[in-house]
Amino acid sequence: MNKSKRPFGKILMTLMIVFFYLPIVYMVVFSFNDGKSLTHFTGFSLRWYRHMLESQDMMEALYTTFSIALLATFISTVAGTIAAIGLSKSKKIIRNIMEQINNLPMMNPEIVTAIGFMLLFITFKVEKGYATMLLAHIAFCIPYVMLSVMPKIKQLDPNLADAAMDLGCTPWQALVKVIVPQITPGIVSGALIAFTMSVDDFIISYFVTGGGVKNLSIIVYTMSKRVNPSINAVSTLVVVIITVVLLAINLAPALAAKRGKKEVIVRRNRVIPLTMAAVAAIGIMFVVGLGSGGGDRPFEGQTLYLYNWGEYTGENIIGDFEEATGAKVVQENFDSNEQMYIKVANGESYDILVPSDYMIQRLIQEELLQKLDHSKLDCLDKLAEEVKGLPYDPGNEYSVPYFWGTVGIVYDTNKVTVKELEREGFGIFLNEKYKGDVYLYDSERDSFMMALKSLGYSMNTSDEREIQEAYEWLVQCVKTMDTEIVTDEIIDNMAQGRKALGLIYSGDATYVMDENEDMGYYMPESGTNIWSDAMVIPKNAKNPELAHAFINFASDYDGAYDNSSYVGYTSANQEVIDAIYGEGGDYEGISAYLPRTDNENDEVFEYNEETKKIMGDLWSRVKIAASNAD
Amino acid sequence: MMKRFSQLALPYIVWAVLMLVLPMGLIAVYSIMEQGNSIVPFSFTLEYYVKFFTDPDFLLILWRSLLIAVKTTVICLLLGYPAAYFIAKSKENVQNILILCITIPMWINMLVRTYAWIGLLSEGGLIQQILRVLGLGNGELLYTEGAVLLGMVYNFLPFMILQVQTSLSKMDNSLLEASSDLGANPVQTFRKVTLPLSLPGVINGITLVFLPAVSSFFIPKLLGGGQYFLIGNMIENQFITVGEWNFGSAVSMIMAVIMMLLMMAVRKVEIRNQGGKEE
Repeated sequence: MNKSKRPFGKILMTLMIVFFYLPIVYMVVFSFNDGKSLTHFTGFSLRWYRHMLESQDMMEALYTTFSIALLATFISTVAGTIAAIGLSKSKKIIRNIMEQINNLPMMNPEIVTAIGFMLLFITFKVEKGYATMLLAHIAFCIPYVMLSVMPKIKQLDPNLADAAMDLGCTPWQALVKVIVPQITPGIVSGALIAFTMSVDDFIISYFVTGGGVKNLSIIVYTMSKRVNPSINAVSTLVVVIITVVLLAINLAPALAAKRGKKEVIVRRNRVIPLTMAAVAAIGIMFVVGLGSGGGDRPFEGQTLYLYNWGEYTGENIIGDFEEATGAKVVQENFDSNEQMYIKVANGESYDILVPSDYMIQRLIQEELLQKLDHSKLDCLDKLAEEVKGLPYDPGNEYSVPYFWGTVGIVYDTNKVTVKELEREGFGIFLNEKYKGDVYLYDSERDSFMMALKSLGYSMNTSDEREIQEAYEWLVQCVKTMDTEIVTDEIIDNMAQGRKALGLIYSGDATYVMDENEDMGYYMPESGTNIWSDAMVIPKNAKNPELAHAFINFASDYDGAYDNSSYVGYTSANQEVIDAIYGEGGDYEGISAYLPRTDNENDEVFEYNEETKKIMGDLWSRVKIAASNAD
Repeated sequence: MMKRFSQLALPYIVWAVLMLVLPMGLIAVYSIMEQGNSIVPFSFTLEYYVKFFTDPDFLLILWRSLLIAVKTTVICLLLGYPAAYFIAKSKENVQNILILCITIPMWINMLVRTYAWIGLLSEGGLIQQILRVLGLGNGELLYTEGAVLLGMVYNFLPFMILQVQTSLSKMDNSLLEASSDLGANPVQTFRKVTLPLSLPGVINGITLVFLPAVSSFFIPKLLGGGQYFLIGNMIENQFITVGEWNFGSAVSMIMAVIMMLLMMAVRKVEIRNQGGKEE
């Protein structure tokens, strides 16, 4: 046999290891990057690690991930082993049926299992959060444990337990002293599989969580659109932990082998890794659990559940608010009004939401909001005139504006001239000169706004013909222009000057222009959407008192300044606008920061149930058309 | 006497019915009931199934999802089998190290690893620079079908390698010796002995790659961009942003049934070739 050299195999293996580790190494390297970019290394810094340690969200996600994994592993291993022993003595038909049932989560696409759990919890009105996540994890882990325990039980001598009991053992003793030790290898490998499945799970956790409980996967999924290198730092931390644990697992038996007899090794071999894993995980939980202070402040020990857009708060405001009030803020993020609406409409409870204009109108109509207590608010007269008493909530009875702005075109001034933009308006998105060089934004209402405005219609039209025409406009755009439909990736990509044109929110354009001087922002004469996002308190809020305090805090000069200067969106506080846009301000002279107020074609979105549904449906068809056009 | 132990299974039977069977039942109920996110006034309809099967766009999405999952599985098999073979034929200590090397990435969060590819593939990123230096073009990498495929292969390849490797290393080496003693050349030995004996591992590997590949929605979303839509994204979309749970449930049911049929077909192949299977 030719066993001496197998160059092909070696080359393949080497390439494969490079392939597996390249992204991991890349991530570790960029976790030390000084800059925000994911492609250019600008210098060594620990800034993202600091950011990570300061970010409560991330530390809690680490805690959630590992505590759920440990609990789920422990419970599912014990329960799965007991169930497997029981089933092995049950009638064959029961055993077969149970095997089929256990196959459900293993043989079904994960998303189907996930939706099943979600519907289960919602149907039986179980409040989603940590407990539901744990239950779901246990439920999908047990079948894997049983799968690896079952074969070991089958290998067992069926008379073993009888013999033990004949010799005077109680059934319990027979179980613990005789059966379990015999099947330990199966139990251990089952536990390891369960741990791996749980730590790595995203899809199921994503559908069954609530109340701001997030694991690492959910954090990555909901934050990834805006570049946030602290994800790399967290990941590096996980890499280090996992590597240490795995090395310990694999080195321990080797070390033991040098010392003791074989029998000993077998035992240690099984016990040490689990102990190591447990110690490491408990260590993490301990570290993460530290760092909560005390004192007597007005809302000491209370919790504010804030449901907000991703990356929509300043760097300090949450920490400052917690410092000032003693309350803890649990923030959950959404990336569309619709996503937020579905959760709220299905009864999940938050203290503050930050939806947009038309969505607030809908929430008011459907009686999902409570009226604000104006006697508890000191912020209303600080608001800019333009955002006071907007049509969706004329007396600000329900809402206090947070950010506002316009929608427009971000363009590379080296590639696109203002003349062209003036001539074509939003129609420039159909100009094949820019084929392959445009970003669309993944938002049904703003995409339709662009198409309707370009066609000269009102963006609030309910005329089905006009909507159909706009739909065709959009389909033509995605089919002929080789567009990319993005969300917040547009910010980083346009700041790097990667495309000529993109549909963008004014606040994001502010950030882009601040980063890259070649970028411009243009609002077509045919009109655009003047939008605003405002803080509201849902009817089922658990702590409206604290919610009012937060509204005041976020509208006050310091809080609003922190938000606006960090995020780049236009503040609702007039003084802040003046400070940031004016001389010496963070965004001095950046046109996108100041929304225009003098174009009579500009409109504010209104909620219309009928057209909203039609547009939602048509927009997913536009995306499907784009997808199928590739 | 042993009957007492069978009672140990009772709590789990109750639990499994509640936590595993009932959720599937709920999806089925939602999928055949008229509008609404609560099941209390129940009225029967097949509207959502009709909606799916009469719309060429939806069928195309389903087709493309199956296609990309097949591509992923084939690539994983082509890369994974030789790798597994190489590992299985290595010395035992080398084997352990190689297996460890392949397992470690699996323990690091899947999303985190996929996220790292965004930086690698994006414009001006490392991969593009390497391609540029090698003169292999300057095209876009991120937000293409190639990127989605790469992400899937990257995430699911280890499953294939480990499954195939397990079944290869269980194989009795004396069979190979016997085969060559009887005059078979290495190619014949591989085709007639090694391959059939490793089939259970291959089939397990295919299952473990194909299933998650067909329903994945975060890989297409992260690496394919908003215009890259697969059946998993469609289901997510129905539940998370559109709010049409009934339609979403119907699509889920359709997918579950298709998967079940495919898996049954695969198992058939396995049973037919069960000759060398061991417990």
